[in-house]
Amino acid sequence: MRLLPLIFKRQLASYACTPSTYLSVAVFLVLCAALGLHSNQWMEQDSSDLQAFFELHPWLYMLLIPGLSMHLWSDEHSTSFSNMLKTLHITSAERVIGKFLAAWVVCSVALLLNFPLVIAAHYLGTPDDGVIASQFLASWLLAGSYLSVGCFICALTHQRVVIFLLTMGLLLTLSGLFSVMDALEHQAPIWIVDSMMKLDPIARFSSMDNGKITLHDGLYFISMIFAFLSATIVTLNYKNS
Amino acid sequence: MIEVSNLTKYVGKKSVISDFSFCAQRQECVGLLGEHGAGKTTLLNLICGITTPTSGHISIEGFNTQAHPVIARQAVGYQPQGGISHHTLSVTGILNFVAAARGLSGAEKRRHVDRVATRLELHPVLNCPVDVLGLGLKRRVAIAQAILHSPSVLLLDEPTEGLNAEQRLKFRVLVQSLSEEMSVIIASRHYDSLSDICTRALVIANGRLMADSSLQDLQRSSRHFQAVTLAADPPLDLLALAVLPGVAGIEEDRQNPGKVTVLAMPGHAVFPAINSLIAHRGWNITSLHIEPGRLNDVVHHLSHEVSP
Repeated sequence: MRLLPLIFKRQLASYACTPSTYLSVAVFLVLCAALGLHSNQWMEQDSSDLQAFFELHPWLYMLLIPGLSMHLWSDEHSTSFSNMLKTLHITSAERVIGKFLAAWVVCSVALLLNFPLVIAAHYLGTPDDGVIASQFLASWLLAGSYLSVGCFICALTHQRVVIFLLTMGLLLTLSGLFSVMDALEHQAPIWIVDSMMKLDPIARFSSMDNGKITLHDGLYFISMIFAFLSATIVTLNYKNS
Repeated sequence: MIEVSNLTKYVGKKSVISDFSFCAQRQECVGLLGEHGAGKTTLLNLICGITTPTSGHISIEGFNTQAHPVIARQAVGYQPQGGISHHTLSVTGILNFVAAARGLSGAEKRRHVDRVATRLELHPVLNCPVDVLGLGLKRRVAIAQAILHSPSVLLLDEPTEGLNAEQRLKFRVLVQSLSEEMSVIIASRHYDSLSDICTRALVIANGRLMADSSLQDLQRSSRHFQAVTLAADPPLDLLALAVLPGVAGIEEDRQNPGKVTVLAMPGHAVFPAINSLIAHRGWNITSLHIEPGRLNDVVHHLSHEVSP
């Protein structure tokens, strides 16, 4: 893990000098504020949290995360550069974790740039800061888990269109699980529905979003990140052998 | 110093390197000659640790690349074929990144980067993105990052491809100065450009070592060794050339009528006899040179011994 900070810094700098990062973040922020204000009577209600905005995040991340994760491995498209990296003895774990952390930091920045909403909430009423903080935390963990999925898919293939479609497809499947479960509720045995329901990130996210952070919801996201990052490391090791 | 013993690499079921052994000392410049697809780049990739061998050992400065990968890789510098390209990084960006990955920092890093930039004349392009540079400069950037940490083994993959005569001369001076500090292994298909750089040649074909000898010996084994190629304005009297003592045969150049190559028998020098014939007949010679031996022919011949 000696070279982890170096990979992290390099990836962060790479995000900073790519216009598409700024575009993704800007689109995310604008859509979040616009859709939140449009679809909800947040201004009129004396709301104590930012639920109206945060409940959109699972869907808005589907625009932000594929954009960020496509950029994760774009360095390695050039064979000469990736060969050079291999001669430097950078392990797959260092590469994956360093790049993932950098992308997660970009997500955090995007998330923190929602601060005008917090200020507005304070100006309009008396929000519960604890609930808002837990909403931020839940959204951040959700972003991390989506990002780990994107990271894994990008390690599988180099083709940008395939990456984009796969990431969108997988995330949509995960998000769509909830509606599928609703439809299945009366046909399938209840234990299948229940255990499938536990796998749905959006259901987990909604429960955390309401301001109650439970250990197992947090662990769900962390274990998802861990699982997909390990899968990425294994994939890269297999490719290099 | 580098020692390779019984190296074998399989890709799927196909053997790409089989039972390859050699050893190179410090201050030695070794040419790795072979035709397209002979396994040159694969061998270099194995040595610098990009791929792992199926069996066999590589030790660099006494450290086995499997047992001590970190120390062994630290002692190797590798210039990939075609140089380095990256869509966002500048030349300094790449050099600083590699220096940091090699464990250099602060003033020491700056000193090392500055030293290689001076050595490879990269100062005018230091702030340019690497992608906009030409092939020659990309390759210089690749060599710069390879020698940044003063390795003891330097691997160059096709370093002379596409260079003009002046650049080739500069490259020769560079490699000569580098080979005083480290062992240099140059893989190339452009054998003639290596003839005045390398001291030793390894010929590889189908992943096997076909010959390991000095470059002079390899040239000497060419049937064109000591041959005389000459051209004259009115076409020459070939019969008079053919009956000279020590002449093994005459080849006419189909592309240039009037240009012939007189082959010498092994151990014979035909030039004095040809010289006196020219003086005697009063031929109007437009060009004449004694051939050092054609490496292309030798390598081609050796390569086709294994794959008919």
